[in-house]
Amino acid sequence: MRNFSLLTLLLLTSVSALGQDAAPGWLESTLYGNGKINVVILVVAVIISGIGLWMFSMDRRLRRMEKNLKK
Amino acid sequence: MKTAEIAQLLRLEVALDLRQRAAWGGMLLYVVSAVYVCFLAVKGGLGTATWNALYWIILLFAAFNALARSFQREEGGRQLYLYTLADPRSVVLARTVYNAITMMVLSLLSLMFYALFLGSEVLASADLPQFLLAVVLGGLGFATVLTLISAIAARAGNGLGLMAILGFPLVLPMLLAVMRASKLALDGVAWSVTSTYFGGLLLLDVITVTLAWVLFPYLWRD
Amino acid sequence: MKHWWWKSLAVALLLVASIAAFWVPLSPALVHVSPSRIAPGEVVIHVTGYNTHFTPEMRVFIENDGQQVCASMIETIDATHARIVMNVPQGLRASMSDLSVQGLLYPGAFYSDALGDGIENDGCGNVNKIELQTPGFTFPNRSILYESIRNLHFHVPMWFTMIVLMGISVWHSIKGLGDNSLDRDRKAVSAVHVGLLFCGLGLTTGAFWARATWGAFWTNDVKLNGAAVTALIYLAYLVLRGSIPDAHKRARLSAIYNVFAFMLLVLFLFVVPRLNAIDSLHPGNGGNSGFNDLDLDNRLRVIFYPAVAGWILLGTWMYDLRERSARLRELTEQ
Repeated sequence: MRNFSLLTLLLLTSVSALGQDAAPGWLESTLYGNGKINVVILVVAVIISGIGLWMFSMDRRLRRMEKNLKK
Repeated sequence: MKTAEIAQLLRLEVALDLRQRAAWGGMLLYVVSAVYVCFLAVKGGLGTATWNALYWIILLFAAFNALARSFQREEGGRQLYLYTLADPRSVVLARTVYNAITMMVLSLLSLMFYALFLGSEVLASADLPQFLLAVVLGGLGFATVLTLISAIAARAGNGLGLMAILGFPLVLPMLLAVMRASKLALDGVAWSVTSTYFGGLLLLDVITVTLAWVLFPYLWRD
Repeated sequence: MKHWWWKSLAVALLLVASIAAFWVPLSPALVHVSPSRIAPGEVVIHVTGYNTHFTPEMRVFIENDGQQVCASMIETIDATHARIVMNVPQGLRASMSDLSVQGLLYPGAFYSDALGDGIENDGCGNVNKIELQTPGFTFPNRSILYESIRNLHFHVPMWFTMIVLMGISVWHSIKGLGDNSLDRDRKAVSAVHVGLLFCGLGLTTGAFWARATWGAFWTNDVKLNGAAVTALIYLAYLVLRGSIPDAHKRARLSAIYNVFAFMLLVLFLFVVPRLNAIDSLHPGNGGNSGFNDLDLDNRLRVIFYPAVAGWILLGTWMYDLRERSARLRELTEQ
């Protein structure tokens, strides 16, 4: 668990560092220009997490079946 | 389609229902209480839009309450008895017609109480024939959708609770269209505008009855 | 290999469409012009562009009722910001004027009163066609959407996939009513499960996009009502199934409800919006322009259709997995 949170921290700091370095670059004037790209990121994140959750539920179903088979 | 059989079944429905006068009294009491609760809650002074919305909400719940009984008495031997006598399609058509009549009477009666308690100033500027047509078509629509739903709920062995869950999303399209139509009628809009709504409502009703007619035999057999 | 080709196709289509959805730039546009009023005399105008390359040599003019006023001085701050000086003459004919920068039009940019009966047309020259052409392959730049137009390739395919999955479910329900088989029932309910996942994804992504574009998570809109009704119908379908213990009875009753509800749903989604054709924020409804217009022009279509096909195939694949696992579960639990 601790490893995981460390990794998250590391990832977050690296992402924010990236954001600071690229200050007035092309991204600010194009993709990030008016903040509207954030909602696209959010939408993609929702879709990927939704499908991820579905994968977990499928995994659980299969695990239950395996248990039944062993019995 | 057997008209004679349907007429006979319809007569049976009426005869059976006349024997249970308490049920009709219950329905009326439900509507009157609902209207009175609304009267206490808003204390008059409603705009056209709110007046209209409140009326349809009362009618929606009255419809669920009234039509939930539709197939509940079929438990036990009576269904088997009817099954040997009649074609299931005649049964569902007769029941739909009977429910439609019930709903029309109920909606007109509740309109009366509603106008009495919550004021009829709104009706003064309305196109009354159009509004009454919307009320009648709305009642008809609720009846057609909820007849099959009531049969499914009864067969599932679960009464009003299941019927509300199953029926509500299906009644919603009808409710939205009829609310819009009656709002336009209350505003006194010309026939040329509202006729598309009435046509659409009638189309919805016809399709719903056809679906019930096609699907009911599957529900019936066991 | 026979089982793999369409699954590979799903992955390939999704990969191509998703990469392109992010990669393709937006076409240049003018996003902000100030001030919004002009009066005769010298006027200093600040222009902000998007994905533009402002240069001091670009052609800038105000167009008022077909008559043009050229810029007297252009000072570019950077590629997207410019300061423009204009000498507005007396006697503009119309109250609204458009601004044209480098062939990009900002309609209704300025308001002016004190109208006259025309000015001497500067004739800054007709904008030549080369200037108007956008460089390369770009997505359209729409005023309130901007970059979020890319969501079209993620949010909308969720609904297409959901409808296809519900269609698969109804197909199996109809077949199941004919032959009373529990296999059909399992297929129908598996499709509904996956369809509800896509419905949930469509609702959530739609809510976020609506918040960013229209300012509210939920609006009273025919499309949103349709989505809500779909969710309610299929949740009710699952409740109905849950309340019947006997497998054959459950199969039959839920199939009847499925067919009935789907037909009414189709009516609701495609007929009722025509009746209430006044108030929708979505393209293709009410006063908004449809898919044939600017909203979904050919540049978007090229990415959008592969994305839809890819998501539908992925949804079908997920349904396939769900159905097979349900069958296996029945076998192992016997």
